[in-house]
This record gives sequence, C-alpha cells and structure tokens, in this order.
Amino acid sequence: MTEVYSVSQVNTYIKNLFVRDSLLGYLSVRGEVSGCKYHTSGHIYFTLKDASGQLGCVMFASLRKGLAFRLTDGMSVVVRGRISIYERDGRYQLYANEILKEGTGDLYAQFERLKERLAAEGLFDKEHKKPVPAFPNTIGIVTAATGAAIHDILTISARRNPYVQLILCPAQVQGEGAAAAIVRGIRRLAALGPDVIIVGRGGGSAEDLWAFNEEIVARAIYDCPVPIISAVGHETDFTIADFAADLRAPTPSAAAELAVNDVSLLEGTLVDLHSSLLKSMQRKIADCRSRLGGLAMQLKYTSPAYQLEQQRLKLADMQTRLSMLFRQRLVLARKETALLAERMKAASPLEKLTSGYSYLADEEGHMVNSITKTAPGRIIVASVTDGEITAEVKEVRKINRNR
Amino acid sequence: MAKKEKTLEAAMEELNQILAKLETDQISLEDSFLLYQEGMKLLKYCNDSIDKVEKKLIVLEEGSEDGV
Repeated sequence: MTEVYSVSQVNTYIKNLFVRDSLLGYLSVRGEVSGCKYHTSGHIYFTLKDASGQLGCVMFASLRKGLAFRLTDGMSVVVRGRISIYERDGRYQLYANEILKEGTGDLYAQFERLKERLAAEGLFDKEHKKPVPAFPNTIGIVTAATGAAIHDILTISARRNPYVQLILCPAQVQGEGAAAAIVRGIRRLAALGPDVIIVGRGGGSAEDLWAFNEEIVARAIYDCPVPIISAVGHETDFTIADFAADLRAPTPSAAAELAVNDVSLLEGTLVDLHSSLLKSMQRKIADCRSRLGGLAMQLKYTSPAYQLEQQRLKLADMQTRLSMLFRQRLVLARKETALLAERMKAASPLEKLTSGYSYLADEEGHMVNSITKTAPGRIIVASVTDGEITAEVKEVRKINRNR
Repeated sequence: MAKKEKTLEAAMEELNQILAKLETDQISLEDSFLLYQEGMKLLKYCNDSIDKVEKKLIVLEEGSEDGV
C-alpha cells in the first residue's frame, strides 16, 4: 500500500469505470418492484429484486414519460437505463429511462409495430376477408392435441352438430417453434380443403399466446384459401392472428359456436321451409279452385240451360199458385153451394107439401095458381107428399087476399 | 375433398326465392307446380346434405407431414 486515496477519488474512479462500460451504459433489467416511493420532487425510488439479489433504482422526474403506469410493489417490470454510482452514498444504482410491465412492455411494442406494418400492407383489410360458410361439412382445427381449446371445440361441436367432420392438425402452440408449427398446420389443412379452419389455443400469459403474434402466422392465415376463424386465449386477448383471420372468435368455444351450425335449428328451419312450401302450394291450388268455382258459377248463370231451368222453375211456381188459387176457389164454391142447398131445402115445395100445401096443375100440367086458370067442371091434379089427387072443380070463388 | 356443386346455404337461399315466388299471385298454376317440385327437390337436397352420420375426430399424424 503505497498510495492512499480519498473516498471521492475512489468513487470517481469507479464511476469512470462504469461510464466506460458499454453494457452498463444502456441495459434492461428484469425484476420485481419493492420499496417503491414516489418522492414529492417527482423522482421515483424503488428496488428491483429477484430470488437472490436486489438493485436500487431511481427514475428522475424529468424521465417520467418513460413510465406509462403507476408503479407499485410486487410488479414484475423491465427497467431500461444505465447503471452508475451515486457518489454521495458510494453505491451504484440503476437510473431508469423507461419502465415496462414484464411480459407486455417489450412484446407490446413489438406487437404494435408488427400490427401497424401488416395493417399498412393490407393484411387486415376487410376486402380480403373470406365469408365463413354457414353450414360447413368439414372443419379443420389447428391447435394443441391436448388442452382446453380442442376439448372445448369438440364438446361444443358434438352438442351442436355431431355430423360435422372435424380434422385436427395438432400443433405446438407455445414456445420455440410454435409459430412454424401453426403455419405448417394451416397449410396442411388448407391442402385438405375443409370448409373452414379454426386456429387457436386456450388462455395463457402474453408469452404463451405469442406465437399467434408472429408475422409468419399472420401471413399463413392471410394466404390460406380456406376461411380461418382465430380463437386465441380469452375475450380480452387480441393477437395479430385475430386481425389477419377472416373472423375472430373471442375463445375456442366461441369459435366452435361460430363455425358449427346448430343442426337442430337447421332441421327446424327445413321443417318450416317444407311447411311453407306446402302451404303456398296448397294456397295456390285453393286459389285456383275458388277462381274456377267462380267461373263455373258465372258460366252456369249465363248458360241457356240455366235460363231454361229458371223459366221452368218460374213456370212450376206459377202452376203451383194457379192450382192453389183454383183449390181455394173450389172450396169457396163448395161452401156457397152448400149454403144454396140449405136455402133450396128451405124453399123446397116438398116441404110445403108436408105442411098441408099442395101443387095444383091442370090436365096438361100447367100450374093452377089463380081462379082464372081453371073453371068448374075442369079437372085439376093436386100433388101431395106421397102422390097426386085428380079432382073435378065444383066452383070458383074470388077472394081478395091483399087486404 | 370433392366440393359439392351446391352448398346447403345456396340451396336454402334458392328455396327461399322459390317460396317468395310461390307466394306472389302473378304465377300460373303450371309454373307453381314446377316451382313446388323444384322446392321439394331442394328440400330433399338440404336434408340429404345434412349427412346424418356422426363423425369422429380425424387427427392428422405428425409423421405424415409434408415438410412445408
């Protein structure tokens, strides 16, 4: 030990070492936030920890724009900045320029860049979206052979329509090589020509879903001649694959609902169509029939036969009235006759004979009702009830009876 | 996979059009009979194309990959 240095000299020396170091000048450090303090000055002080160590950090108020969220203890973050010495305390710390949420931050930026680029290229354009057929017979699936996604799709598909053929092309959906496996799956299925392809996986962390944010996957989806439904993660997860797909399903279950038509509904529709077809035909025939009926009626009314029949009916009617009137008249005549007969009876000479009167006639049968029609010595015949009496007139004597 | 010449969708759409025509009055009985027959054919086609055979999942073998 020949030379003695001051504390400041040592600190400055170390600081210079740090400054010259190319790594320490700009690096990203992953860790968990603890002891986070938002100072009144606007600076943020915190410590980054991992399982076996810790590192003091500061973000100056002037660089706060590098932090897009409220930093709290326990957060997993990636801090970008430089490591330098704080000479007053003789300790080194991380001077943060930018703090990103672990998992999202870095990837998120990549995601946004890729999304923008592919959008600019037109990969997400509506005009390129192929319609998903309503009644597919065959559905291809690219997902992991085991896992929630295929299970959900199989369950829902079997419930809605067990007659649809599903073809699974198993593909690794996360980790190294996943994107390439998905691309291979899409191409293999496309070669088989199903009606629609579902590409997806169940929920997971942003990294788990990352393969679906890869450019090759987006391009394979875009290039695929068969319509593709993307089904990645949960409702809230949006991937590049979702944007490139012809239809985005929020989950694999939803993809199955979208792709597989409900056969019972379809059957119901067909039954309805059948009955409408039948009904319209029956209505048509009924219409024609009633029109025909109308025409037949018209024809009937205007036909000579009908006219003749009508006349005949009129005639028959008149005949009936005639005979009725006649009968009435007859009855009346009979009554009158009976009345007359009574009167005749009352006026009958025979009646008179029984009460002692008799009818007198001369020998020639001329009525003798006056003394002038006979004379003494002449014969007269008196008719009585049971015969005639022939008598000789003795005398005639005039009597005036009109007193 | 051999594509059918008509999809179920197309058949149903045609059937709807036939129904619409049948429901108008400006159509002769002869034409409506033809349409009806055509409709029944389409209906049969629709029913037939719901191939009512339960399908098992086909899993493509990894080994047969064509190395794209």
